[in-house]
Amino acid sequence: MTTIIPFGPQHPVLPEPIALKLEIDDDVIVGVLPSLGYVHRGLETFVNTKDYNQTTYICERICGICSALHGITYTRAVEKLFDVEIPERAQYIRVIVGELNRLHSHILWLGLFADGFGFESLFYECWKYREGVYDVLERITGNRVIHSISKVGGVTTDLTKEYIDITLKMLDTLEPQIQNIEKVFVNNYTVKKRLVGLATMSKQLAYEAGTAGPTLRGSGNAIDVRNTSDWDIYKDLGFKTCVEDGGDCYARTKVRINELYESIKLIRNAISKLPNGEIATPVKGTPTGEAIMRTEQPRGEVVYYVKGNGTRKLERLKIRTPTFANIPSLLLTLPGAKLADVPIIVLTIDPCISCTER
Amino acid sequence: MGMLNLVLSNISRKPATRLYPFEIREPFKEFKGRLVFDPENCILCGICQKKCPADAISVTKADKTWELNVFRCIMCTECVNGCPKECLSVSNERPKTGAKETIKVVVPIVEKPKANTPKAESSKAASSK
Repeated sequence: MTTIIPFGPQHPVLPEPIALKLEIDDDVIVGVLPSLGYVHRGLETFVNTKDYNQTTYICERICGICSALHGITYTRAVEKLFDVEIPERAQYIRVIVGELNRLHSHILWLGLFADGFGFESLFYECWKYREGVYDVLERITGNRVIHSISKVGGVTTDLTKEYIDITLKMLDTLEPQIQNIEKVFVNNYTVKKRLVGLATMSKQLAYEAGTAGPTLRGSGNAIDVRNTSDWDIYKDLGFKTCVEDGGDCYARTKVRINELYESIKLIRNAISKLPNGEIATPVKGTPTGEAIMRTEQPRGEVVYYVKGNGTRKLERLKIRTPTFANIPSLLLTLPGAKLADVPIIVLTIDPCISCTER
Repeated sequence: MGMLNLVLSNISRKPATRLYPFEIREPFKEFKGRLVFDPENCILCGICQKKCPADAISVTKADKTWELNVFRCIMCTECVNGCPKECLSVSNERPKTGAKETIKVVVPIVEKPKANTPKAESSKAASSK
């Protein structure tokens, strides 16, 4: 006989509300039913009351963790709609702030994950390192959480010599710290016992389920929008997609740790190649038409669709966020797992429910 | 044995946190704490009100008032960059806890005389100085 028990919307491992109705037989899960909609704010409709540039600030408030990348994706989509070229320096600054954003997001996730499998001091250790990244972001952009770096036509803040110095100094201290915690995540006996072979997805299954980001790459699919889309800067910076073949929770953790090193490398390369010049071009007009833009967020691929109708306001904004694509993978991997492993499996997709529901 | 090393080194280390009410971190000089409005040069053009994405600023020409809702302001500094007379600036101090929700400033705007007579023009030049 099966029993249905609720997991969430309030649960110690979940920072945000998602409810999973777990159908369990003894201790093993046989069925999952997700339910969403606890933090829906109607932001996609709200943008109809604001003009193009003001909408950037709404898009940034979709998610607090990947706020800069939401803003960057939106502005790139609108620039495609306006058909304008932005200065190269602005594009490099966007990459630098976007990668700093990814750094702190992945360190946050590592901490939450460590808390999920019961390593509390590792959790505090990760979040301690994250503060360094936040301090740099706060100094560059003036805001701690919502960075507002990107605006339609360029960036709002220039990266001066002083900020470059503090960024490089922070990266130099952060890299050995990450190597420190990497040893625990990758080599620790207890952690490996807990993660290896848990919630395995084959390469084919992960692709067919439409997953995104580290969940997809942890199963051996070398798909990263930074490499495959038309954002050329990443190719110039020597970006390499991080892939692991395991397909389990351990592989996804390793992908995220490798991406931390990749982000550090990208920021260093971008700073060394940072061109001189303007940081923004004036953008004016009332375009018609539609545009689609894809960007790789910490959690995976985000898709922005914008439609203009010849006024100063957008007619339609549609966002496909990575967590929405990753929830089906939960429904495929949870059956067969034990109830005690559910928090870890849910955390490995790095759920961001505010993004998903907007 | 990475975890054991981390824990042991943390025992002898100073705490990473601050004892908050007694030890306060000074805000960075770049931190966008609050808006500062200088009514001296304001011409009540209302550009800040139009640019504000959060509808936090309201400018009333009839009453000559400039009003900011501090709780709505998101510190995007669109108004600071948009102001043609550079009346707005950013301070790195936060608004104090328990501060009033709105800041209302009466702008001491000098009435512009109509520029059809040479006498009026000279008085306008004097007032702008």
